Amino acid sequence: MIEITDLRRIYHMGNVEVKALDGVTLTIGKGEFLGIMGASGSGKTTLLHMVGLLDQPTSGRIMIDGLDILGLTDYEKTMFRLYKLGYVFQDYALVPDLTVMENVSLPAMLRKDRTEAQVKKDSYSILEKIGLCDRRDHLPRELSGGQQQRVSIARAMVNKPDILFADEPCANLDSENSRMVLDLFHEINEEMQQTIIMVSHEDWHKEYFHRIVRLRDGKIFSDGTNGAHHH
Amino acid sequence: MGKKELKVAFLLALRSLQRGSRSSVVLTVLIIAMCFTNMVFLPGLFNGIGEGIITQIVDYEVGNVMVGAKTGEQYVTDLDATLDLINSMPGVERATPHISKGATLKYRQRILGVSVKAIKPGDEKYVSPLYSKMVAGSYLGEDDTGEVIIGKPVAGDATIKQEDEFQPSLGGVRVGDSITIEYGNGYTKDYRVKGIYFTGWTSTDNNVFITWSDMEQVEGKTLDYAEYITVKAKPGYDEKFIKNELQQYGVTGYVQTTGDLLKKAMGSVMQSFAIINMVSLVVGVIITTVVLFIVITIKTINSRRQIGILKAIGVDKEVIMHTYGLQVVIMALLGICFGIILTAILAVYLAANPIVTPEWKAYLLLTPGDYITNSLILFLAAVVAGYVPAWQVSREDIQSAMRA
Ligand SMILES: Nc1ncnc2c1ncn2[C@@H]1O[C@H](COP(=O)(O)OP(=O)(O)OP(=O)(O)O)[C@@H](O)[C@H]1O
Ligand SMILES: [Mg+2]
Repeated sequence: MIEITDLRRIYHMGNVEVKALDGVTLTIGKGEFLGIMGASGSGKTTLLHMVGLLDQPTSGRIMIDGLDILGLTDYEKTMFRLYKLGYVFQDYALVPDLTVMENVSLPAMLRKDRTEAQVKKDSYSILEKIGLCDRRDHLPRELSGGQQQRVSIARAMVNKPDILFADEPCANLDSENSRMVLDLFHEINEEMQQTIIMVSHEDWHKEYFHRIVRLRDGKIFSDGTNGAHHH
Repeated sequence: MGKKELKVAFLLALRSLQRGSRSSVVLTVLIIAMCFTNMVFLPGLFNGIGEGIITQIVDYEVGNVMVGAKTGEQYVTDLDATLDLINSMPGVERATPHISKGATLKYRQRILGVSVKAIKPGDEKYVSPLYSKMVAGSYLGEDDTGEVIIGKPVAGDATIKQEDEFQPSLGGVRVGDSITIEYGNGYTKDYRVKGIYFTGWTSTDNNVFITWSDMEQVEGKTLDYAEYITVKAKPGYDEKFIKNELQQYGVTGYVQTTGDLLKKAMGSVMQSFAIINMVSLVVGVIITTVVLFIVITIKTINSRRQIGILKAIGVDKEVIMHTYGLQVVIMALLGICFGIILTAILAVYLAANPIVTPEWKAYLLLTPGDYITNSLILFLAAVVAGYVPAWQVSREDIQSAMRA
């Protein structure tokens, strides 16, 4: 469970103050597949980065499963991200010099509670799930955009995180590949009760979300269970 | 920093080197190798030259310890007693006297001024390898009279015309020929050339040698004095120890070690060598440091977003730092190994084909110690040059790194 209270993020650009987030209060339950939508510049990425421990808010509070994550040290935050969170980025963000297998294994290799054999097994089975086992020794540049994004999802999922963050994961993909990615998210969400928070501004993505939070100028404009979701 | 973290850092470093820009890695390694060669070559060459000169000075001039005349006197007196005393000392292999006299050599139409040195051939064998440097005929016997051995440049070459000669000679004396020696005191005698030698040590090669008893005939008296005595130390005995010993036991004469003499003769030369060595070392280290710093800085700047992503997915900043630091460590190790191979090849080549001049033979003298110190210095410089930018980039906050 994620409890966000009066979250603010103010950027100072010279003398101008940009209120990227202007008092967001939000509770996200376990297993939710949440869509964050809104116009460009409305603060979607900023919100995601705050909750994902990638940036520090100006004020407010974020509790994850009862833990005040903003009080953690730098190292504790790193470990929290490694053990509890997964990320999928718009541009896939794979390490170009590592093979598909190495990219997927990387977060698992750092975990103290995983043996080498386990890392291999987990990476293998997640690659199987995304259907890219036969490409495990390829470099990212040898894959299509959709395939790369699936690899990046596999990397995010290999540690079986509590929360998966995705910032416009389909922005660079055509509709067919977008669907493949969204179906994968849906599957993960269904099978593992995986909490997913996904930013999007494609209207048709709505059909996948349980709940949609719309932002406008850093504030929540609307928040509601999504009756339109088909799955 | 646990084992797993280090393993991940190493994997990232290795893959970046393997799959990143190949040419940049090769060039960097090459530059490190060149810097290493630069650091090692000149000092090694100077050491080689120095060592060569010292060996020859020990062999042909002073032995390990030289006993000369006391200040104000011309000769070491009371020769037999002095030699007996020195030879009885622990650590002394053998002491042997020398005396020389200016003379003119005559052979057919040629006349040549030289210094004739008298030696005791048997004892001399223990101190100087002259006896092993005969290129024709044989070395002097202990009781030879009327026999002389001469240096190859003195003997000359019959096939070279006098006006074409590099230095004046007797124009092609051969073993068995008779040459006339006219001494400064007017004494003149014909000698049979018993042997011709070539040592490579110019001043010796321009001498001729006769036996002690022949010199006594020249002087017309028993020689119980010498210009100087050269002393050979037994293996494992220090020159200084022998010098102290000789002085304590009251050897009449002025006792100097090779080291003492070299300090006087070559002190300023060695100092210049040391300065040149230092400069080449500092320049090499600075070049390496700057190059590695630039290479890694460029690498980190180009990978800022990727570094941000890695941190985002839970890679600790120490792992990031080592990812870049280790790349320098790997390149530095490769470069140093390559440098060691290069200089070793150079050393082997120069040992087989020394740069020869009339004064010295140049080869590379490279001790394991030189290799170790230079490797360490270069390695430390490389590590500093690599880890400084690596440390800087690893501290950047995720937001600014990811937006780069
Ligand atoms: N590092 C920054 N410095 C200054 N202003 C920033 C910074 N990051 C974001 N902003 C500003 O904060 C506001 C929200 O930005 P954010 O990236 O969260 O928008 P977004 O909803 O993700 O937009 P998009 O759909 O285009 O990705 C914008 O006005 C943006 O200009
Ligand atoms: Mg955004």
